Formats: sequence, structure tokens, C-alpha cells
Amino acid sequence: MTLIERTSGGGQTAAPASGDARRGRRRGSAAWLGLAGLGTLLAVMEIVPRVGLVSSKYFPPTSRIAEALAAEVTDQAFWVALGDTLKGWALGLLIATVAGAALGVLIGAVPLLREYTASTIEFLRPIPSVALIPLAVLLFGTDIRSTLLLVVYASFWQVLVQVLYGVQDVDPVADETARSYGLSTIARVRYVLWPTALPYVMTGVRLAAAVALVLAITAELVIGAPGLGARIAVAQTSNAVPDMYALVTVTGLLGVLVNLGARAVERRTLAWHQSVRGEVAA
Amino acid sequence: MRRLITRLAVAAALIAASAACGSSSPSTGTGGSNQVDNVKVGVIPIVDVAPIYLGKEKGFFSNRKINLTLESGQGGAAIVPGVVSGQFQFGFSNVTSLMIAQTQGVPLKGVANGNNSTGKDGEDFGAVVVKGDSPIQSAKDLAGKKVAVNTLKNIGDTSVRASVRKAGGDPSTVEFVEIAFAQMPAALDAGQVDAAWVVEPSLAAVKAAGGRIIASNFVDVAPDLTVALYFTSEKLLADNPDLVKRFQEAMQESLTYADAHPDEVRKVLSTYTKIDAATLSTLVLPKWPAQPNRASLEELAKLGQQDGLFTKAPDLDKLLP
Repeated sequence: MTLIERTSGGGQTAAPASGDARRGRRRGSAAWLGLAGLGTLLAVMEIVPRVGLVSSKYFPPTSRIAEALAAEVTDQAFWVALGDTLKGWALGLLIATVAGAALGVLIGAVPLLREYTASTIEFLRPIPSVALIPLAVLLFGTDIRSTLLLVVYASFWQVLVQVLYGVQDVDPVADETARSYGLSTIARVRYVLWPTALPYVMTGVRLAAAVALVLAITAELVIGAPGLGARIAVAQTSNAVPDMYALVTVTGLLGVLVNLGARAVERRTLAWHQSVRGEVAA
Repeated sequence: MRRLITRLAVAAALIAASAACGSSSPSTGTGGSNQVDNVKVGVIPIVDVAPIYLGKEKGFFSNRKINLTLESGQGGAAIVPGVVSGQFQFGFSNVTSLMIAQTQGVPLKGVANGNNSTGKDGEDFGAVVVKGDSPIQSAKDLAGKKVAVNTLKNIGDTSVRASVRKAGGDPSTVEFVEIAFAQMPAALDAGQVDAAWVVEPSLAAVKAAGGRIIASNFVDVAPDLTVALYFTSEKLLADNPDLVKRFQEAMQESLTYADAHPDEVRKVLSTYTKIDAATLSTLVLPKWPAQPNRASLEELAKLGQQDGLFTKAPDLDKLLP
């Protein structure tokens, strides 16, 4: 929420109009190239099973998958599953972001705390979330809380570690200046530490958003928590191959949307920051 | 991977069972006469559990004041720990997995039969299959070959060994690899494995692709093998024997009904699986007797012990309903 406020605050430092146009053009051609690449991929996936390089039974051509997808979107249960997945993703990401940012600022700002937790964080961070599946099942069975546990665990570290880096990046001169002007601790966090850390936070959130989606679907697939993953699992055990790929396609599309969304949020939130403005100048 | 998860799960379940069990079983009130019990059952979305879906539809559970929710925990990795921790009141699992859990001290108790083999050689719902042009003609030829099973050290490899032994081959030279049922038709087609133990609906897919059945491994273990059971935790059995009894009765009614109405079974399958209509009509359905076949389980336990699945013999008196 602070992020949104920040956007309106930083909005006045908009890029020059000519730069905007140039950026627009470049982004436009990149988008065309991207679409062309996707089109080629789809065409290859249509042709390869058709000419018999792989069996169309186990790897159906694009058109067959599209057909299954069309049938899928008319099924209300599909939308419920999609909603469940998005709910698990969004809630998990929100919890991880808030917790990661809050703890990151706290730990990063107190050197003693940083030393004290460094090895613990390095120990816990590489533990794959998937290894916690038995624990999740034991605690929460197959409902959404199992998904949340895995999602939060995986995405929390992404945010936390980025915030820790960000906090360490604070310009000591700026901090000293703020101190000598008598800014309170809270004010220094708000005006010195947070703006410095924000680009890192946004990177963390962007990484976490993708990881959260992967884990949400993994949890559903393996545990059977309600959502797209569980639907993929049912299609798989039923040998409904085109349906399975249709659902996999949906998860891929979700991933693209999540990434686009995260980038858009990042760009808006950091419109004032040189990492975003710098793109224009270059 | 799946097996590792299952193992971790069982270990975690043990810890929880001894420490903080029964944290949140919402339904286990002491069976007042008007009270409806909310019951969650952990199942796998496969053909074997059709009777419980059918029974629910027919009201066999609501008749007995059971409000049934079926949770399709994928692959079953979630089911045993879910039941032990009280997230599910009941679960569905293959009998070898239950025997393994029991010999490891997980407090489980079978309450109703799950499903049985058809007992007909060549016409069972599970079979060892090869590609149509494979030189393998019988289970005897599997010696030295690569055979796919869904889980290693479980009912699949034990029963396939029984087939090899029965056909006069040497089961110790069979190389088992772990592949999910759904991927077996493709693995077989691509030649990644020489043979595969598949169950429906993958069996139908293999047959449609020209595959050949070389053995009915369940039939080779025992004439009428009980393959799976519905089970509960010893805790629920002690806390609410009335609920367990009602579930047991509802389950027996469901099994009997399903066994007598295969058409309705095929219809209910389309509600919780995505098996296409053409395949549905050709599926070989399992048998659903109301009671497990104890003699067949003794045989399976013996084979399991021979294969080193358990460190000690499972106690069937304690495990079976």
C-alpha cells in the first residue's frame, strides 16, 4: 500500500516526452518479436506431433490443446480452480512481502540482529519449499493453508534477502545528514532507508511473485489442495492429455501475466528512481 | 521423489501422533443422536474409489448422519499423514502401504474394504503390459528387463515378482523403475521401459495403442486379492466408535451397490475424473466386495516380507476391520 502512495508521490518526475515515444517504439517492436517467437513455438508444437516426430497421443498438437482449452473455459469448475490458485498466490505473496519487508528492515537496520540471524537465514533459505509438503499436510491437510505455507516459505526469502541488501545500500552520508537534522528513527526509515531499499524490495517482490505461482501450483499438484494444480493432477490420472496441456498452458499464461504485472508495478513504483529513468537516457 | 515425500510424511505423522494429535478434528463430537458429523475422506481421483462417490450421491452417508467431503489428495502422499493428524477422518490406501505404515508403528486401523482384483487372468483392472511387437511373451521373460511401477517397494513390484515367479522366471533380476501410471503408456511406447504395470485408465490407453497383456499380477498373488482399504486412525476409533461404525456400514452399502451397478459406476466416474467417454465404456472395473479377503492379504504380507518391504510381519488382526 505504501508502494502505491509512493507512486503518486514520485509521479512528477516523469520522463521527457521524446524519451517516452522512443521507449514506446522500442517496446512495441520487442513485443512484436516476442509474439512472433511465441507464434513460431505454437506452430512447431502443431507440426511436430502432426508429422509424427512425437506421438500425438502423448503430445497433442496445438490445435487439439486449444480445443481442450476452449472446452475447459466453459466449465465453471475451471474458474473456481483458477480463483483458488490466484487466491493462494495473492495471499501468500502478500504475507511474504509484508513479513519480508518488515523483518528485512528490522534485521537490516540493527547490525547486532543482522549478525545474529545471518547464518540462520543462510541455513533456512535454501531449504526447498517442496520439502515442507509433509509438514504442510500434517498441519493443514489439503486445504488452502497448505498451499499458503509453501508459497509463503518460498517467496518470503526472496523478499527478505533483497530487503537486507537494500538496507545495507543506504548512503552513509545521507543517513548521517538525516541524523544531524534530528530526524527520528521512524522518519529515517521512511525517508532514507525505505527509498534506498525500495528498488531491492521491488526486485524481491517480482522474483517472489513468480516463485509464489510455481509453488501454489506445485502444492495443489502434489498435495491436492484445490486449484489448477489439482485439476492438472486429475487430468493426468485420467489420461486426459489435451486437457492436461490446456491447463498447463493456463498456468504458463498466468506466469506471463504475473511477470508483466510485477514489472508494471515496479516501473510505476520506481518511476522516480534512476534505474527506471536510466532506461530512458540510455 | 514421491516416495521420499511419503517417507517424510510417515515420519512426521509418527511424531505428531505421539505429541500433539487431534488438534483440529471438527467433527468428532461424541455422536449425539441428532448431530450430523462432518467427515472428510482422503481419496485418490482414480477408478478404485468410485463406490464412495456413488454412495455419497445415493445418500448412503447422509442417511447415517454423515456429511461427506471427499478430498482427492493426489497420489496418496497426503492421505496417511492427513488421517493420523486428524485432518481427514478416513482415508483410502493400498494395502501394502498400510502394512508398511503399520509395521513402522503408525496408529492406523482398516474400517472397510477398498477394492479387489477381478480375479480373472487377462481381464483385471491392472496388468503387466508390453508393446505389441515386444519379444516378451510371458512374465517369465521379464527376467533382466526393465519394468515400470508407480512406486518402488510397494504392491507393484511385489506383485510383479509374484507373476515372474509363478511363470517360472527369476524375479531377482527384474529391474524396476518408478514412473507415474499416467506416464507409463508413453514410456512404454518410447521404449524407455520393456514392460509396465498399469491400472485403468492407463491400461485402456495401452490396449488402444496396441499393447499386449502378459500377466495379471494381482491375480498371480491370490485369486481374489484385496488391493486397498479405507482406514482411520486408532484415535478416532477410540474417540468416536459410533461414527466409525456408521461410516463402515455406509461404505459396505456403497461397495455392494457399486459392484452391482457398473453402469452407474461409469457414470459417476465422469463426475470426478476426466476420463473421456469412449474410454469410460471400455474400462475394466475392479470388484467391490463388502469385506476384505483376509487370505489374500496374508499372501501379500508374506510376499512383502520376502521382498523386504517390512522389517517385521504386519499384524493383520490389528490392521483389518
